[in-house]
Amino acid sequence: MSKFTGVWAIFEYLDETTETIEQIRKQGVQPTVITPCPKHEIDHALGEPTSLVPWIALAFGALGCFIGYSLPAWTASDWVLPVSGKPIVAIPPFTIIGFELTILFTTIFTLLGLFLLGFIDSLRFPIPKGAKKYRRFQRDRFGVVVRCDETKLEEFESIMKKNGAEEVHVEKE
Amino acid sequence: MGTTAEYNASAGRVVIDEHRGHPGIKATTLDYGQINDEMLAMLDKPNPSYYLLLLGFLMALGLGVLSFAVQVDVGIGFSGISHPIAWGFYITNFVFWIGIGHAGTLISAVFYLTRAPWRTAIYRSAEAMTVFAVFTAGLFPLVHIGRPWLAFWLIPYPNERMLWVNFKSPLLWDVFAVTTYMSVSIMFFLLGLIPDLAILRDEAARRGKKLKALIYAPMALAWRGTNHQWVHYMRGYLIFAACATPLVFSVHSIVSWDFAMSSVPGWHTTIFAPYFVAGAIFSGLSMVLTVLIPIRAVFGLQDYITNHVIQSVAKMIIFTSIIVGYAYATEFFIGYYSGSPFERAIFYYRPFGEMQSWTLLGDNQISFPQIAFWLMVFCNVIAPIPLWRWKIRNNPLAVWIIAALVNVGMWFERFNIIGSSLQHEYDPASWGEYWPTIVETGVTIGSFGFFFTLFTLFAKSLPPMAIMELKEGANPPLKHAEKKDTNE
Repeated sequence: MSKFTGVWAIFEYLDETTETIEQIRKQGVQPTVITPCPKHEIDHALGEPTSLVPWIALAFGALGCFIGYSLPAWTASDWVLPVSGKPIVAIPPFTIIGFELTILFTTIFTLLGLFLLGFIDSLRFPIPKGAKKYRRFQRDRFGVVVRCDETKLEEFESIMKKNGAEEVHVEKE
Repeated sequence: MGTTAEYNASAGRVVIDEHRGHPGIKATTLDYGQINDEMLAMLDKPNPSYYLLLLGFLMALGLGVLSFAVQVDVGIGFSGISHPIAWGFYITNFVFWIGIGHAGTLISAVFYLTRAPWRTAIYRSAEAMTVFAVFTAGLFPLVHIGRPWLAFWLIPYPNERMLWVNFKSPLLWDVFAVTTYMSVSIMFFLLGLIPDLAILRDEAARRGKKLKALIYAPMALAWRGTNHQWVHYMRGYLIFAACATPLVFSVHSIVSWDFAMSSVPGWHTTIFAPYFVAGAIFSGLSMVLTVLIPIRAVFGLQDYITNHVIQSVAKMIIFTSIIVGYAYATEFFIGYYSGSPFERAIFYYRPFGEMQSWTLLGDNQISFPQIAFWLMVFCNVIAPIPLWRWKIRNNPLAVWIIAALVNVGMWFERFNIIGSSLQHEYDPASWGEYWPTIVETGVTIGSFGFFFTLFTLFAKSLPPMAIMELKEGANPPLKHAEKKDTNE
């Protein structure tokens, strides 16, 4: 667990949370937000963050497609076994394998990709232990976490308090 | 004020993204905490009737296991499948159960992409049904081949003579289609569960249930609900839905090619792929209603699975019933119009039996395919007709009876296609009669036991509705809206 210096707060209301996010972003800091469910309002306030997951899906989908065509083509050429006058390397039947493996590779690597990216982000944007132990983020509360140096702690604390945070926690070290 | 929340003076309240509302679902009127409480209450200790039900399903499953054990001990000859009818109850069950799975993917993926709001209340259960139905279906090729310990021969690997599997065979396409479908369904189901498992973890900890929290913690995969996690998650979920959509249409098309690629009369037709897919969705949606209407009554979920949801599924059933009915008619027309005596013979044989008589009565015995045919027509084409009436669609009991009939009809449709064609191929000298033996009937009953045992266990161990999505559809907590309400 990396050491955390910053401020984190608990909010009851969505509009107060989005307001806080916007004011924090005006200070040039990107906060981490914890929500019980995905909300477009939060995404808008955060400036529409993007994900690399679709690129991972595309890359491995293409790999799956390549394997789906090349595996049958290679095996059919490896031991030539003519079947009812059909071509040895027959594209239409291999398209079925190509399609299935495209889907299979896309989904498997999408899943692995989003796990991996989530893990990397948890290292890049750590949240303090106290926020992890707080049990109502999965229930009905919104959390805003700001990492900053000690000189800015008070400023962010006041933004959060001003916007109606239920609790504000300042963490040093 | 927040970015997208706008104060609407005429409505006198704050309006947020009104397209996301779920009309008629109680969750919209509940706050996030109440949704958690109501969903978690469903996972409370079950009452004795639950165990009784589970026992019944386990007994059915036991019968299936016993029947299979007898078949393995005696040999595949103990089943009714033999020359010329090599595909009987087992392949019927395989096709039937794969079809049942389709509704789950349709509801979770296709209706996700088309933004059908009524799917929220039923998609988790339907998705679980998909996973369990594909598990059940996946057992049947193993049961059918007689020597299941050699099933690995289907996997593409070179044997001692460096001979590979035949990728031009529809049976191998099926291996790829079904295993891909099973893998994607399981992953999609688990992906949807992750945020809900985190809810279970934190709620268990909040309520002081340490053991439960400890069990759910590794399953939730360190889910915290941060914006970084959500952005990857939602993109990933969308990709899954986009991949599962063509997959659901491809799987039953490929299953249908097991038949359509052969030259057997009654099978060798180009309409099989859409015909099978429509039938699969038809039977799957009926199974969703067959299972969810009793669950709705037992758990008292009328406010979530509203009559509107049941009506929406019933409308899909009407739609697919018409396609299936049209496909039946097309088969007969093409049988006549093709001019092929073999095609004509099989389509006479299915409804009326042997050609020696023009009547069902008299000396002519009714064969199993004939029973299958008329049950199929009655249950799949005639029984859903009352659903056109709003009053019938709005009556859950009536819808349940029709859905149950459709399940019966669809099972017999699969049998009708498979059994009758093999009984009457080209050469009358190789015609045969198929009747299932006791082991096949036992394994068939066992398959229903297997499916319903898994589903019953699921309904009490994991949230049968997606809590996260219910919250997404509910009105978010807003300070400004509250102030306005208080003023009023």
